[in-house]
Amino acid sequence: MADRLLIAEELHRVYGSGETSTRALNGVSFEFGEGEFAAIIGQSGSGKSTLLNLLGLLDTPTSGTVRYRDRDTGSLSTRARAELRNGLIGFVFQFHHLLPEFTVFENVAMPALISGALPPGEIRRRAEEALGLLGLADVDAKNANALSGGQKQRVAIARALMNRPALVLADEPTGNLDTTNTELVYELFRKVRSETGTAFLIVTHDRKVAQRTDRILEVLDGELVSDERNRYLD
Amino acid sequence: MLSVRIAARFLRTSPVQSALIVAGIAVGIATQVFVGSLITSLQANLVDTTIGSSPHITVKAREDGEPVVLSERVRSVMIADERVEPGAVAPVRTASALFTDGESSAPLSLTGGRLVDLDRIYDLSGRTQAGTPGLGAGEIIIGVDFARKYGLSPGDSVSLVFAGAGATPARVTAVVDLGSAAANERTAFIDSDLLRRISGWSADEHSAIQAQVREPFDAATVAAEWRAALPDVLISDWQAENADLLTALQSQSASSYMIQVFVLVAVALGIASTLAISAVQKTRQIGILKAMGLSDRRSGAIFLWQAAILGVGGTAGGVGLGYALIWGFSLVPVPFSIVPEPRFIALSSAIGVLVALLSSVIPTRKTSRLDPIEVIQSG
Repeated sequence: MADRLLIAEELHRVYGSGETSTRALNGVSFEFGEGEFAAIIGQSGSGKSTLLNLLGLLDTPTSGTVRYRDRDTGSLSTRARAELRNGLIGFVFQFHHLLPEFTVFENVAMPALISGALPPGEIRRRAEEALGLLGLADVDAKNANALSGGQKQRVAIARALMNRPALVLADEPTGNLDTTNTELVYELFRKVRSETGTAFLIVTHDRKVAQRTDRILEVLDGELVSDERNRYLD
Repeated sequence: MLSVRIAARFLRTSPVQSALIVAGIAVGIATQVFVGSLITSLQANLVDTTIGSSPHITVKAREDGEPVVLSERVRSVMIADERVEPGAVAPVRTASALFTDGESSAPLSLTGGRLVDLDRIYDLSGRTQAGTPGLGAGEIIIGVDFARKYGLSPGDSVSLVFAGAGATPARVTAVVDLGSAAANERTAFIDSDLLRRISGWSADEHSAIQAQVREPFDAATVAAEWRAALPDVLISDWQAENADLLTALQSQSASSYMIQVFVLVAVALGIASTLAISAVQKTRQIGILKAMGLSDRRSGAIFLWQAAILGVGGTAGGVGLGYALIWGFSLVPVPFSIVPEPRFIALSSAIGVLVALLSSVIPTRKTSRLDPIEVIQSG
């Protein structure tokens, strides 16, 4: 395995308390390397999105730890977690979650604007590069709401890549797309991964889609029931 | 300043909502500026009409009808006081006389003194309507209504009858407007020496010593201190003699403050409700921004900046509108004009912006506490 990027250790997530509590994750552990291209599969309600939210530091585990590059994130402040999310992780959500008040260019540049670490010229260069990579150079001045579903999802991917993250977490990124656009998105993921070395961890309920990745982690009833190299690619 | 940029964009993408709240703040601040300036100017006018050209503090002898002596002690207490308007200490002699022109007669209240002293108290030169004021031997300055009633003008001679002294002539040097009909008809200023001769007093004996202080509302305090320093004389101040007016002014101020406070409360509620709605409307966007790494503090600051932009915009508009109302008022024929007080307007503006900022507390706190997972999970 490549250098370790992420370690999930005995992750438990329980919602609520007492008799009404729901156990969404039950002791999930695995390691994930730099530049890996993997999928988490499972039925609806299996706990795969919960796992992704914990790995993305959007949620905190009831018990267990998430380590990034050997750094335990459990003891981090809300602010430090926000900074880590901004610098290390890129998100692609099922509903793309673009900001309708901003243009395509501004949406893509937003993670860098939040970080504030880059000069404006570099932000522009990187955003244009990401838009170019995803074939969106001609729509950068449009309002995000004016795009088609496929274009919106590509903008969301460009945004996720803006800060050159070590890991892109994608939750059902092609859930609302047709076959052609789904094909296109996975081609883009692979292209980005080969060009930038960014790792991808993609949540999907569709095994066929998951088979486009190199490694498949299967979650069932909150537990990791299998973790295997994708034999269909061999 | 990403928070400012996002705040401005949120406002720009809801133009009607933003314009309405800016208009609401502007109307509130304009009311504040107009009502505050109106009441202040009205009160200044009332005070000026009542005491602007009359003594603030009067020193008399304890016994009625007896003279007060302008001793060194009295001089040192009154003239040396820094709160007294420089030069505005006038020893005067007063008397009542009957004016007669052969056909009719009228009582006149006479005040005698040096023109230079009386000018500091009564501003006779500034109030002159006709003639050149002078209070030399046998000279008199009369009120404008008295002059009109008896057809007198500068250069004319009037005959005054004093009790026990017979008729005495005096030459009118000027006609003055003393600011009130009663004073203009009954009051006149006359050569002090003439009154001294009639009263039989010595040169340093006077009916009263009148003084004006720099700040009219200091009069009661100054008078109280002088009473302690000069126990042998009777000292009165305009505030004690015009208690009803002061009560009216205080009541007017209180009602003005009430109006201004309620206007500000209405403005605050307007901004707070708009920002609260905006915070709910933008929950999804804030959640997305937080998921991308925007900190709680900067997320909250978005609504603080929205409030600041609305507050500054609304206040600026309100001050402009307030000035327009004051200008509009100047076209209405009333006996006084509204003078905008820059310090009051600056204070109103500061309060306007502060109220706007305070109104953002709830949405700011709510936003900074928003957990991005709530938005991400709900799709």
